Amino acid sequence: MQAAAAQAHGPREVVWPQDPQFGRASAGKIAMWIFLVSDGLSFAGLLLAYGILRGESLIWRHPDEPSLGIAFTAGLTFLLICSSVTMVFAYEAALEGRRSRAALFLGLTALGGVLFLLGQYSEYFGILHPGLAREGLVFGQSAYASTFYVITSFHGFHVFSGTVYILVTLGRWMRGKATPAQIELLGLFWHFVDLVWILVFTIVYLIPTGS
Amino acid sequence: MSESSAHAPAHASRARQYLIIFLVLFLLTLIEVGVAYVQGHKAEVMVALFALAVVKAACVALFFMHLKWETRVLRATVVVPMCFPVLYALILISEGAWRRLAG
Repeated sequence: MQAAAAQAHGPREVVWPQDPQFGRASAGKIAMWIFLVSDGLSFAGLLLAYGILRGESLIWRHPDEPSLGIAFTAGLTFLLICSSVTMVFAYEAALEGRRSRAALFLGLTALGGVLFLLGQYSEYFGILHPGLAREGLVFGQSAYASTFYVITSFHGFHVFSGTVYILVTLGRWMRGKATPAQIELLGLFWHFVDLVWILVFTIVYLIPTGS
Repeated sequence: MSESSAHAPAHASRARQYLIIFLVLFLLTLIEVGVAYVQGHKAEVMVALFALAVVKAACVALFFMHLKWETRVLRATVVVPMCFPVLYALILISEGAWRRLAG
């Protein structure tokens, strides 16, 4: 009933014909998946290069370079996991036609993205503490520093674009111009950002540096 | 989850499933952080960390990204290309380990 009411007032949802290979997946969804695979391969390239450089180096982290804060970054990981949960609940609410609830969860997801970016800024440049750059982790000074900044900022750029994408979709949803299917595509991108962070967190932060 | 999902569970059951996955991800992250602080046993720590990361990533892809309910062809379209960098990494790790043993 609610879904029917939502459909009556919102843009019409296109139901895709059943395809023997892709079921009822829309062209937009297949395109998003293909984009995510290509984006995933970009991250794979960065992480493979990181592994090769680190595996071949005699000293990965020089004594005057700071170690990476595991506890703080675990907090950022938890934040992204929470934002993935709010995103799936936004999509569920959109499917049920509960517009305000969907908007609330989309807003919470965007807040998660903003907090993550603030956390990353604080990690790099410091807000209540000096930050890695001032502690001696300087881009271009070592492979340890350069790979760290390239990989985490590339991911940070994804969080930034994802947050903008969420806010744009939220605005369209509130004006009745976005459909649940569009929120699903947004969710795919956002969960991908979370998924990639799980791997970045493990490979860049958690793998011990000692021999 | 669009209508491409043939055997997708009902809304209420999905909501419960999301909360379970959230708890699993939270607990696995705690375990990861604990494992990262284990001293010595570097090879075992690395294997454990990679295994935990793969399980977490699979949870996100299967349940939050609804890959579990997509068709086999769509799942293969996503998973097969991602196997090649993993295979390449395994070859490089084996080659590095072999060189260390030989040298």
